[in-house]
Amino acid sequence: MMKKISMLSLIVLLLASSVPVRAAEGGLRLPPYKKVKLKNGMTLLLMENREVPIVSFSFIIRAGSVADPRGREGVSSLAAALLRKGTRTRTADQVSAELDFIGGQFAASASFDFTAGSAEFMKKDITKGLGLTSDILLGPAFPEEEVKKMLAQRIDGIKAAKDQAQAVIGQYFSAYLYGDHPYARPTGGDERSLAAITRDDVQKFYQTYYTPSNTILAAAGDFNTAEMERALADRFGAWAGKQSPSINVADPASFQGKKLLLVDKPDSTQTFFQIGNIGIARTNADRVYIDLVNTLFGGRFTSMLNSELRIKTGLTYGARSSFNERRARGPFAISTYTRNETTERAIDMALDILRRLHERGITEAELKSAKNYIKGQFPPDIETSDQLADLISELEFYGLDEREVNEYYARIDAMTLDDARRVIRQYFPLDNLVFVLVGKAEEIQTLAKKYATKVDTKQISQPGF
Amino acid sequence: MALVALLSFIAEAQTFDVKTTTLKNGMKILVQEDHSIPNIALYIFYRIGSRNERPGTTGLSHFFEHMMFNGAKKYGPGMFDRTMEDAGGSNNAYTNNDLTVYQDWFPRSALELIFDLEADRIRDLSFDPQVIESERGVVASERRTSVDSNNFGILFEQLNATAFNAHPYQWPVVGWMVDIEKWKMEDLRSHFEMGYSPSNATMVVVGDITAEEIFRLAQKYIEPIRSHAPPPPVTTREPEQLGEKRVVVRKFAQLPILMIGYHTPESANSDYYAIQVLQTILFAGQSSRMYQRLVDKDQIALFVNGGSGLSLDPSLFRVTAQPKVGIAPEKLEQAIYEEFDRVKTQGVTDQEMEKAKNILLANFYRQVRTISDRANLLGSYEVYIGDYRKLFTAAEDYNRVTKADLQRVAQKYFTDRNRTVATLIPEKPEQEK
Repeated sequence: MMKKISMLSLIVLLLASSVPVRAAEGGLRLPPYKKVKLKNGMTLLLMENREVPIVSFSFIIRAGSVADPRGREGVSSLAAALLRKGTRTRTADQVSAELDFIGGQFAASASFDFTAGSAEFMKKDITKGLGLTSDILLGPAFPEEEVKKMLAQRIDGIKAAKDQAQAVIGQYFSAYLYGDHPYARPTGGDERSLAAITRDDVQKFYQTYYTPSNTILAAAGDFNTAEMERALADRFGAWAGKQSPSINVADPASFQGKKLLLVDKPDSTQTFFQIGNIGIARTNADRVYIDLVNTLFGGRFTSMLNSELRIKTGLTYGARSSFNERRARGPFAISTYTRNETTERAIDMALDILRRLHERGITEAELKSAKNYIKGQFPPDIETSDQLADLISELEFYGLDEREVNEYYARIDAMTLDDARRVIRQYFPLDNLVFVLVGKAEEIQTLAKKYATKVDTKQISQPGF
Repeated sequence: MALVALLSFIAEAQTFDVKTTTLKNGMKILVQEDHSIPNIALYIFYRIGSRNERPGTTGLSHFFEHMMFNGAKKYGPGMFDRTMEDAGGSNNAYTNNDLTVYQDWFPRSALELIFDLEADRIRDLSFDPQVIESERGVVASERRTSVDSNNFGILFEQLNATAFNAHPYQWPVVGWMVDIEKWKMEDLRSHFEMGYSPSNATMVVVGDITAEEIFRLAQKYIEPIRSHAPPPPVTTREPEQLGEKRVVVRKFAQLPILMIGYHTPESANSDYYAIQVLQTILFAGQSSRMYQRLVDKDQIALFVNGGSGLSLDPSLFRVTAQPKVGIAPEKLEQAIYEEFDRVKTQGVTDQEMEKAKNILLANFYRQVRTISDRANLLGSYEVYIGDYRKLFTAAEDYNRVTKADLQRVAQKYFTDRNRTVATLIPEKPEQEK
């Protein structure tokens, strides 16, 4: 059932039976896929992959929470979640019953820049599955009762999430870091904005942004490309819609100075904290280099942060750093947690490691290790049809292409220590830092002033982030 | 008819070929070749977990899992992870009630190195007092994060502690904090002696390899390591529960939580498959009975889920639900009991049976599509059910389950006297009262 292609290099990629991921001199090749633009402007991406008899779909609507009306944060997120809650031809119960009956899955959610969804069916049920998917995407009815139900669920859901610091610290950090920029607004809304949303808001968001030219649909899995293209054209070719307004997100400027938000969670035995600033966009030309440096700084188990805060001192179960890449510059954050009494020591240590990154840089051996690590860990990221469908739809959204994979190893190999020095200086903050701490204020509030002249406080049970 | 179609379809799909060998020291090895990506997943399942512990040293298996990364003879403190990451590999491990499982994911080029690393720590683990103290802090932090900072973690622990009187499943895998603070060097040493004999482990390797090369490497690196006595068998059986038990946790929170545990048999028991099908009908998807009733129709819960994991000894089928603001947990309890009763008295429909089997089949495909998940699944079937080949007959085993079986298991296990109910009731902090 499997066929081997080549053993030329260390990197030999092929998936069972079809020819998806292929060996290339010194690197990987993304399995070939076909891009089709329907007459109505909708983009289709088709990739065959026959490891298991499953077909995975990923779709992207080019509008996310950034497009939510002010004061109605959460509309894009609700629209996505309500898609399957009743259509022109099926009630919510019928959609669920039919999906579950064939072991299918459908889910959609909004992020800052886009709305993404996935659907998955066994090959034997693909006709039925496609019928359901197109009905859900093209004809959601947004029944009043379902809208109300979900709004009530979500408001309580935010309260429930706030019972767990780890589940919400990222939202507090984004809100505090981004100030007036749209990335400050919570993608899922908050207790107040959700209370203001009506069915009309949801319907209007759908009508404005869910249009053929605003939609990318990727299919990957066990199918024949020509047949799948015909089937998708049949289902989606007649979809009419006007042009959606384009959404412009200004690149946010980095925060200058230092500020700190303390969110009081009185039952905390640990302080959870994030420290960072504005990071990079998904299309940043230095992204591969930045990822290599961040791998060493806080991206893997033996990273500088985790070595000091966990391995050597046992202050925490885990410490890391990450760049969240978006259409405009997303956040960069160091995140960890430690018990109340060691909060100061852990923050000092994290800042010290950041300073050392700037002063000492990285070594040749470390750079080589990071290169090996990223190359060694990457193939499982493009192993399955659902991963591949997600990847190609996202590349299309960002205006990127298969070179992201095909030239990936070459770009990694090209990085030098000079590049590392430049990337550290340019992208890792040092003196300008935003701090968010979630913990027991009674025990940690006195140390807040040490890190920033501007200190703000909130109760975790207060609405909003 | 549908059933026949399903069966032939499954037979066609489950064709992956597993080769096995048993080393002279008793370690069994399963290998499945998959050249789809140039990577390898290597899992080692040790048959030792929190059920092998005693009061006073609870959490030791999990702590030991951490110590396995902290240095041996050839690769000293910190070297295991550093060496592996330098070569492009990564790793993790998990401990549960029954097992401690070590996972390595790496490119083909690192294959021999991984055997060297694994052999070093099985043979010559070192016990450095300073490293032990530091790691104690890490585990304490893990407990504060997974239990203290997580209301579900707190309630889960109380549910288990209440449901089991005799069996070691009563204590948390991470251990009670007081035990984490008090383990001694001798405890660790004796734990290593007890659990880490090669004969007490099963290795599963899936990926860009041949069975022959894995067997050859295992013979070179693992076979010379001597075996010793495995852990003494866990003979305790939980006595039959004679009436409902209840436990309440009061703490700062915005929303309550409800958990209900029913004693159910071990995974190797013949009722396992019927319980899985029942679980699917009751809890899988938005068309499931419990979701429809509690979340959609009555609108009293934010979510509801339920099920039983794999286990070597009889364990719990747990139902978890979170009431919406202003709804008493008792209201959810009533709805859940009514749904169980409806199965007992009226059974399920043919349509639901077919749906459950389709969901289980689709889930099966989702669980075997990565080399990593396949390694985990093969090892789990081998260890919990006693034979990895049961994986290939799982679909038939599910197909054999009848509507009458579901009614029977519902009546047998999901009863008042067999359940333990745990609720978390929110308290406001002083200043907000």
